[in-house]
Amino acid sequence: MSRMTRPLAGAAVLAAAALLAAGCGSGFSSSAKQPAQSSGPASLQILIGSSGDAETAAVKAAAAQWASNTKNKATVIPAQNLDQQLGQAFAGSAPPDVFYMDASKVADYASVGALYPYGNKVNDPNGFYPALRTAFTYKGTFYCAPKDFSTLGLVINTAMWAKAGLTDADIPTTWDQLTSVLTKIKAKGMVPLAVSPTHDRVDAFISQAGGSIVNKAGKPDADSQQNVQALTFVQGLLKSGLMQYSSQLDTGWGGEALGTGKAAMTIEGNWIEGAMKSDYPKIKYEIAPLPAGPAGAATLEFTTCWGISAKSKNHAAAISFVNAMTAPQQQLAFAKAFGVIPSRQSVQATYESQFPTDKAFLDGAPNGVGPVNAPKVTTVLADYDTQLTQLAKGSPTAVLQRLQTNLTQALGS
Amino acid sequence: MASVSSPPVAGGAVIGGTAAANRPRRQRRRRGRYPGEALAGLLFTSPAILMLVLFLLVPILMALWVSLTKWTGQGSPFAAGVPFAGGGNYANLLTRPGLERSDFMTSIRNVLYYVVLVVPLQTGIALFLAMVLNQRRLKGKTFFRTAFYFPSVTSSVAISIVFLFMFTGGGAVNAVLRVFGIQGPSWFNDANGLVHLILGGLHIVDPDNPPGALVNHGLLGLSWWDWLSGPSVAMCAIIALVVWTTSGTFMLLFLAALQDLPADVEESSLLDGANRWQRLRYVTLPQLRPTMFLVITLGLIGSWQVFDQIFILSQGGPDKTTLSPAYLSYTTGFGDQNYPAGAAMSFVLFAIIVLMTAVQRWLLRDSDAARERKAQRALRRAQRKQEVSA
Amino acid sequence: MIAISPTAAAPTRYHNRRRRNGIVWVVVGMAVLVVFALVYLYPFVIQIASSFKTNPDATANPLSPVPHPVTVVNSFAKLFNGSTDFPLWTFNSLVVTLFVTGGRLFLDSLAGYALARLRFPGRGALFGGILAVMAMPGVVLMIPKFLVLNQLGIYDTYAAMILPLLADAGGVFIMKQFFETIPVSVEEAARIDGASTFQIYRSVVLPMARPALITLTILSFQGSWNEFTNMLVAVQSPNLYTLPRGLADLVSGSLGAGTQYPLKLAAALLATIPVAIVFIVFQRHFIRGANEGSTKG
Repeated sequence: MSRMTRPLAGAAVLAAAALLAAGCGSGFSSSAKQPAQSSGPASLQILIGSSGDAETAAVKAAAAQWASNTKNKATVIPAQNLDQQLGQAFAGSAPPDVFYMDASKVADYASVGALYPYGNKVNDPNGFYPALRTAFTYKGTFYCAPKDFSTLGLVINTAMWAKAGLTDADIPTTWDQLTSVLTKIKAKGMVPLAVSPTHDRVDAFISQAGGSIVNKAGKPDADSQQNVQALTFVQGLLKSGLMQYSSQLDTGWGGEALGTGKAAMTIEGNWIEGAMKSDYPKIKYEIAPLPAGPAGAATLEFTTCWGISAKSKNHAAAISFVNAMTAPQQQLAFAKAFGVIPSRQSVQATYESQFPTDKAFLDGAPNGVGPVNAPKVTTVLADYDTQLTQLAKGSPTAVLQRLQTNLTQALGS
Repeated sequence: MASVSSPPVAGGAVIGGTAAANRPRRQRRRRGRYPGEALAGLLFTSPAILMLVLFLLVPILMALWVSLTKWTGQGSPFAAGVPFAGGGNYANLLTRPGLERSDFMTSIRNVLYYVVLVVPLQTGIALFLAMVLNQRRLKGKTFFRTAFYFPSVTSSVAISIVFLFMFTGGGAVNAVLRVFGIQGPSWFNDANGLVHLILGGLHIVDPDNPPGALVNHGLLGLSWWDWLSGPSVAMCAIIALVVWTTSGTFMLLFLAALQDLPADVEESSLLDGANRWQRLRYVTLPQLRPTMFLVITLGLIGSWQVFDQIFILSQGGPDKTTLSPAYLSYTTGFGDQNYPAGAAMSFVLFAIIVLMTAVQRWLLRDSDAARERKAQRALRRAQRKQEVSA
Repeated sequence: MIAISPTAAAPTRYHNRRRRNGIVWVVVGMAVLVVFALVYLYPFVIQIASSFKTNPDATANPLSPVPHPVTVVNSFAKLFNGSTDFPLWTFNSLVVTLFVTGGRLFLDSLAGYALARLRFPGRGALFGGILAVMAMPGVVLMIPKFLVLNQLGIYDTYAAMILPLLADAGGVFIMKQFFETIPVSVEEAARIDGASTFQIYRSVVLPMARPALITLTILSFQGSWNEFTNMLVAVQSPNLYTLPRGLADLVSGSLGAGTQYPLKLAAALLATIPVAIVFIVFQRHFIRGANEGSTKG
């Protein structure tokens, strides 16, 4: 090599070497075989989709406690967008060992073998509410331990309620009563009910009518008579202005519509309490169970589990961590810190006595219906949401038939 | 990524690049003129080439492979055992009826309306501002030029936040509209299509009860009624943002071109007694053709790719009316872990962009030459006719 | 509009009419410019004003350029007191911008010089390849980039944020075009004095390329400071977020419920200020940068 090119060659070689060195440890690892389990103290990465600072702090504290008790290391990473970050992490080199896994996503991850099915290896696996166990069971395997859950309730702005001349005795317990209450509020010139435009709220009516989107056998069942009845009822409410979507009121979700006084009622879960306290502390409200439909009382249930990655090298430590997080006392501590309902039945009584306002949500637990438990339905449900926003001018039958067609295709392939 | 707001160096150079080829050719010699020249040339270029290969060429090839598989996002897509899908992912987008195709076609519809509005608007406003600024006796030209160009250099994310605030239901834009007695919509929540609204407003068609002929027939999984919706109100807000941020850059291009125009042509046309409109139509615009071509090409390439603004402002909503192919590709890949489908979408999008650029190149080809060819054809036809009749 | 003057009209009359019409046009032109300037600048006025407003004030008076009451506690203070990672995002943005700009200047000028001046096998093909690559629409590269970063094992690192941005065909092109305008004679003289190619590049050519280098610096600075999509697919850890990525997360609700526009607008404002300063100081070069592509046509 001639003298004149040497410095440059050095730089080029350096750049190339840096890249190749980085490339040597190729990011992708084969997922086909079980990873070799490491021994000795483990270092766990825990990815959480936090509802806010309170939750992050509480989980971090609990993780630190576990780490010092067991001589392991635990790093809690709060995700900004859990779905997307988890997806990228799994496609990438090192997914986190433990992570929040939403019930609606369990089938997606379980079906491709990304989840470590450890459900029955935790302490007292039968102590969780049966509905929650079902939510995290895919093809007969109980995958992961439920972290906590929430149900939907009817949230009422008491001042607006009183303005319409209504009292606690008027709290609706049937669809007919709901309609009559809403009519009274509307007569006073207020928007009676605001609901977020999503199947995560509207499907409550479907459950109350005795229908479902996907049946127990995992087959699409969207165009049933019960479902048509439910959506026809919802359409009636929308058309008559008794109910409006939160987006129609220029608000982001039902809680904002209630908090800003744009609607007298909303349907939301227990997370609304935290939001009301921090964003709208002056608004007085109370929470009632959702009214029952033709097929009886029903509400929707949302739940998250502690997922463990199949690729993790620290399965034993991860299970030990989950045991610590789902221990009865720890669950109560979490409930206190950021307002979630414990997933273990054994602490129900204690929880109820400590959080009397959550009674309505807790009462829903036996009638709770979990999310659609099938893989590859995210886009289908997103499309369903789009159809629901146009329900007022559409036809319930057409909406449900479209959903049925899309589900059949998604589940069939 | 070369988002629409960044200075169009890259694309611009493509167009201008041919100039280099027109330089008088120097003597070609296989080897350098002095020892080590060839080696130095290779070494000097290799780092930049390495980067281009590693982060442009290799990724494209990898994604092409992924788009032909059924990789689930677990482990390496290049490991043995990843099922091969052939053209299946492309078929899902283009030929196989289903949600995937109707979503993709919805995104194509959205971006078509977006392109059809953004490109003429940004080009027109840019040209207009440049012509106004180019008047000789105007005061404060530098200030105005700066003002118009400034939005172009800001971050697309930062400026989208400002527009998000301005276009809320009770925001600044509606406050301005109220001054004129107009009750503004709740922009980013309004999925109504502009064409639907206009048809409804003129009582031609009731948007709540559209004609069955349009609803029950369609193309590629979307009904004609859906194809003909026009951009949604939410999309119009995004269009306003993009036109606002990009027109400054293009104004600079026009301004530079205007200033380069030979003054004597204009003077002579003045003496010929041409009025302003004639001067614009017959003298200025024809001379601006290369710049016009550049601006439209850049506009087309940029607007087909719209992503950042949608990511911040609407996430494809309301009712999928602001879903763009790029955004859909991103959410399909990273959101649903359906990387093969997402990759397939980006290649279809790429093909569309190439095709559109080619079509535009053909439409804006030197029309004098085209006219000449047309005249010749007509002449030949006439001659043939004469021969036949004779 | 002027009517077409009859050709027989006396030249003086013609010129008088032209002058009078010219003044009308100047006035109309000024009015148009002022209206448009308002449209182009008022959003920034709103942004600045609103970031000093309280939440209710911002919602109630979105158009008002005067905050009432003026507060920084609601927005700017929150950005720095740990409620957000704003300082960290700024730091990351600085790191990325610094490395990308430095890297591009070096790689682009080197390659541009070689393509302009040095003879080596495959030069024409290389240049053709660079032109082709420049036409590649960036947005279709999101999934591909993610795949390659993963395969290289640098996903979720600073390298993943920086290296892909060093692939800058446009910059190579600008430098090549510039070097071709420099007279060869200076280099020939240096070569006769026995300087090496690298020495010529570094001590003779680069100093002469200052204007082009400044243009490139500005374009790189602005491009990498504002870069969003690459950061979206290159990293996932919040401690690697740059400003655009962090801002996007503020908007998508990492603040929890509530809109808090003053805070978001303040964050967007602070993220814009560095580019604004560079823009105002180096305006000439910005404009040259924007025109760089067109003038060669």
